Amino acid sequence: MTTETAPRPLTERLEPYIAIIGPMVMILAILIFMGVAEPARYFRTSNMNLILLDAALYMPMAMAMTFVITQRGIDLSIGSIAALSGIMMAFLIKQYGFSVYVAVPIAIMLGATMGLINGLVITRLNVPDLIGTLAMDLVYRGFALVLAKGLVLARFPDFLTDMGRGRIPGFVPIPVLIGIATMIAGYFLLTRTYFGRYTVAIGSSPEAAELTGISVNRHKVFAYVLCGACAALAGVMLTGKLNAIQATSAPYFNLHVIAAVVVGGTSLFGGRASMLGSFAGVLLLSMMINALVTLRIEFFWQSVASGVVIVSAVALYAWMQKKDRDGAGSWMASLQTPDGQKMLRFSAAIIGVLIALLAIGGLTAVDPTPSG
Amino acid sequence: MTENSMPAPLVKMRGITKRFGGVTALSNVDLDAYAGEVLAIVGDNGAGKSTLIKILTGVYQPTEGDIFLDGEKVDFSSHADAITRGIDAVYQTLALADHLDPPANMFLGNELTRSVLGVTILDNKRMRSETERVLMERLGVTLKSLDAPTESLSGGQRQAVAIARAVYHEGLRVLVMDEPTAALGPQETARTLKLIQTLKDQGLAVILISHSLDDVFEVSDRVHVQRRGQCVGTVRTADSNTQEVLGLIVGAEEAA
Repeated sequence: MTTETAPRPLTERLEPYIAIIGPMVMILAILIFMGVAEPARYFRTSNMNLILLDAALYMPMAMAMTFVITQRGIDLSIGSIAALSGIMMAFLIKQYGFSVYVAVPIAIMLGATMGLINGLVITRLNVPDLIGTLAMDLVYRGFALVLAKGLVLARFPDFLTDMGRGRIPGFVPIPVLIGIATMIAGYFLLTRTYFGRYTVAIGSSPEAAELTGISVNRHKVFAYVLCGACAALAGVMLTGKLNAIQATSAPYFNLHVIAAVVVGGTSLFGGRASMLGSFAGVLLLSMMINALVTLRIEFFWQSVASGVVIVSAVALYAWMQKKDRDGAGSWMASLQTPDGQKMLRFSAAIIGVLIALLAIGGLTAVDPTPSG
Repeated sequence: MTENSMPAPLVKMRGITKRFGGVTALSNVDLDAYAGEVLAIVGDNGAGKSTLIKILTGVYQPTEGDIFLDGEKVDFSSHADAITRGIDAVYQTLALADHLDPPANMFLGNELTRSVLGVTILDNKRMRSETERVLMERLGVTLKSLDAPTESLSGGQRQAVAIARAVYHEGLRVLVMDEPTAALGPQETARTLKLIQTLKDQGLAVILISHSLDDVFEVSDRVHVQRRGQCVGTVRTADSNTQEVLGLIVGAEEAA
């Protein structure tokens, strides 16, 4: 690959691999940083286990979300699907005495059904993906609250806790095996099956897919069903991990998973999928959050860090996509253009008004009276 | 093809009329296409060129009129029907998925598979070798890389992939090309015209829709001129010139 052609610029040769290299570099950066800042506590085996356990939960969903996003879709309902199918499974086991070996497959099929509903809402009722899954997220979460009524269902059979946090002695935890198995299955689906091939084609050019006789709507529904089933699997794993489930579990699954997939180089504009990237993205986010905890940074900063990572990753990919980078070399140069000047004055005005208001507030301030 | 000893036309369209609601897009159009011949269809925007070929390729059904393929009356209810009978089209947009590699595009919707332990999976290796073979044998084209996404190819190479997709079907007899050179530079245009020549020599009936009279005169054997939904004349390219065809297109003779 690298030896046959005339020397091309390094960036051009690296471009096909950027989806893998991006998250790898960031993972390496975290490793190096933590190696300097907090090596003893971060690199403990028990901590590595924690990171893997956390990442394992997101792997099935990241795999499925890779397909949905590659088809130019998005699924915001996975958190609620995980919670609702987890709760229904818990009720089946605790209240109706179902065997856990039946209840777990039932939970996954329930998730698949919810995914099917998502897919049909989007393809049959022509509701845009974003609104459709956002609304269904509310519906599923609502049902979970109605069913559980604030109850915490806890203490499940061993099979479930094994799925969530068990480990093969001297080897990795079982959920990690499940997670990696789903990622491998996803890679196989993406590269070796009609579904994967058509997923890329649909995301790349829906018109071309339609013209070549691919049933675009059917394959969209497939992706949402896969996403629902994987979300339910994550719900089962979460229930097992905590040995408890409640209606408000899994609150930010959707954004975390979308972030992992996008950081991994799968394009939100469709057609560009990277299963290995999604795997790396999941690892990266888990490592970052764990690093923040290890550094004893307040929990709420996690949200800030996740947001910053997403924006920088997407901005990096957008920049990589831009073929014509002449003149973009100096970022400052764009401020010299007339439009840049206008934007600069506009930004200055907003910040100026804010500072002025703060100054007025500060000058007119009286002794504060605590509210209650 | 020689002048007077013309065999029966491969495609015969007779009295084709197409109405969309109150609008008559085509009225009573006849068209003949012969094997081993390039028939160009020219005409102004809205003259009915696209409607005519969409009827031939089964995308639209005619309101009135009959289509004969090899003397046999055919009724296409869909584009897939027409493809099974050996009529396919290469669209102006080429209908390529830019993120997929050329073999994936060539077999899009028609993938080669193999079975592993009873599970059907895509046979990427065979699709790759078949793509290489078809591009080389039928079109005389070799791509630098079959692994790069199709978007990295030049316009002419993309065209070749789209054509290869159509000619891979062994039973292909009629290939319709809609504005194949519209988005290409001079060099790529020349290459595409050579591809059309190659296909013609292989005995296909090629129907070419084009706005570029230069291309039409370079590659076609006959020119079918559409104007306002009607066929205003079919001329033999060798006996005609740009001026005459242009006159037919804009209806200068009528006005004079």
